[in-house]
Amino acid sequence: MLTRLTLQQKILYYSLLTILALIILFPIYYMVIISLKLPKDIYRTPSLLPINATTQNYVDLFDPDKGNFLLNIRNSFIVAGSATFVSVLFSSMAAYSLVRLRYLYRDWFGRLILLAYLTPGSVLFIPLSVIIARLQLGNTLHGLIFVYLTFSTPLSTWLLMGYFKSIPVDLDEQAMVDGATRIQAFFQILLPLSAPGLIAVSVFAFTGAWNELLFGLLFVTSPDLRTVPVAISYLITGDVFRWGLIMAASVSAAVPVMILYYMAQRFVVKGLSAGAVKM
Amino acid sequence: MTQEVIRSPQMEQAKPSRMTLRQSERLTGYLLVAPVIACIIALIVFPFFYAISISFTDKMVGTEGNFVGLENFGYLLRQSRFTETIRNTIVLVTSVQLLKLVFGMGIAVLLNQEVRGKNIWRGLILLPWAMPAFVAFITWKLLFAAQGGAINMILLGTGLTTTHVDFMSKELAMPSVIIASFWRGFPFWVISFLAGMQNIPQERYEAAALDGASAWGRFRYITLPGLRHVILVVVLLSTIATTNSFEAIWLITGGGPSNATMTFPVLAYYGLQSLRIGEAAAVSVSLLPVFAVLAFIVAVLLQRQED
Repeated sequence: MLTRLTLQQKILYYSLLTILALIILFPIYYMVIISLKLPKDIYRTPSLLPINATTQNYVDLFDPDKGNFLLNIRNSFIVAGSATFVSVLFSSMAAYSLVRLRYLYRDWFGRLILLAYLTPGSVLFIPLSVIIARLQLGNTLHGLIFVYLTFSTPLSTWLLMGYFKSIPVDLDEQAMVDGATRIQAFFQILLPLSAPGLIAVSVFAFTGAWNELLFGLLFVTSPDLRTVPVAISYLITGDVFRWGLIMAASVSAAVPVMILYYMAQRFVVKGLSAGAVKM
Repeated sequence: MTQEVIRSPQMEQAKPSRMTLRQSERLTGYLLVAPVIACIIALIVFPFFYAISISFTDKMVGTEGNFVGLENFGYLLRQSRFTETIRNTIVLVTSVQLLKLVFGMGIAVLLNQEVRGKNIWRGLILLPWAMPAFVAFITWKLLFAAQGGAINMILLGTGLTTTHVDFMSKELAMPSVIIASFWRGFPFWVISFLAGMQNIPQERYEAAALDGASAWGRFRYITLPGLRHVILVVVLLSTIATTNSFEAIWLITGGGPSNATMTFPVLAYYGLQSLRIGEAAAVSVSLLPVFAVLAFIVAVLLQRQED
């Protein structure tokens, strides 16, 4: 289509794309260069360029004697990893059941899961903090894992239902005719064929838990149990912001999930469009 | 007669085995769906109704609280802070959604052309959305900062302003939050619109081109109607999410200055911190009617699509 454009239109087109790229990339660029600067360079000689770049902020950040950041990263991995594993397991079981098996109230379970997905966490955090405290799960990572897996399951189930539906029933029925049990057909036929869907759902669940701030702030009080977002948000509550250190922490927090996103990009985009468009 | 005698034992054999097969299918079905349903009931359904019931009490931390009817809601409505919260939410959600709709659609149209390096552009678009929301908002807080912030540096450097602009002032705090939320949120819209555009048959564009339709005409009469459903779903889903987003406000402004950016989740969070649980619950419950209407429409749309 573009070949039919005049030179002027082409110039306009590519200028628009360039402006777009600048708007997207500039904040990320600035975040990275500030993470490489010491306070005196940030405040006394402000510049948009990485002058006097140093890795000192990262060295300080990961120094176990100066802070808990390594512990925070470990907590985040434990919480996000466990929540993802359990939620993908539960939601693939549920999606299989809702797509392939016939029983009473099946449609109502499907509707309940959809409504659960749409219920915002901000309505739930007040009663949940009472419930979690009463279950003695306050200030533990278990409490966070439990909450995060519940929040990611509805979307995971919903997306996997779509995925399982796209796989012909004949395949697992054939396996069962050949003597496989239902569970074997599920694990050996359906799950391997749904690998892209499972990857997308795992990425959503992991990043959802890795990025979550509100429940982390509410449920975890002791500093050595804080997850990464909570730890970083405590860095910006003082009067003087140590921007270099804060940005070093932000870059470190963003890198794992962004690598995950780009490795799984085609699955994620497919999952996303299945979620928003084709559901 | 003989035939019936011969057939009947087979049928009797077949019947119970088919019954148990169906029963076992039903049992497996319930067992497999049970963990998810149990989690949802424990951490979503029960808290949902619990929130409503707390909002009618004067519950504080450590006490059960007494039923006080609508007193919490009356108390909220008499506070100017609460009416400001309503106004801020409307301003924030409408502006962010309009920006995302207009620019999201524009960018999707740009990227739907035969552009060189299509996948690179799409990967680039995803960046703000792939980074954690809290990282994006902290970075925008830095960009807006008076000391060390890039925007002030650019404004001063180019001579557009002569003094530092205070982006966290009462007038500019809300626009700042809107810009940051837009930056982080628009990729989801672009990608959804692009996916929707793939489903519009190419022949319609060719036919329109033959009829001499202009680019605007093709967009207005083919692209837009073709995306009607996607637009509706994305707007509704994103409206629910934006109304309830905690991070943007909490990290950039904390609801201030003097409530200029206070929204429901942040107000409820402060309520919880002040330990007046009944009132805090009333804040989040007062949004429920709006949420219920939006969620009902999305649920119907999504299920219709499913069938």
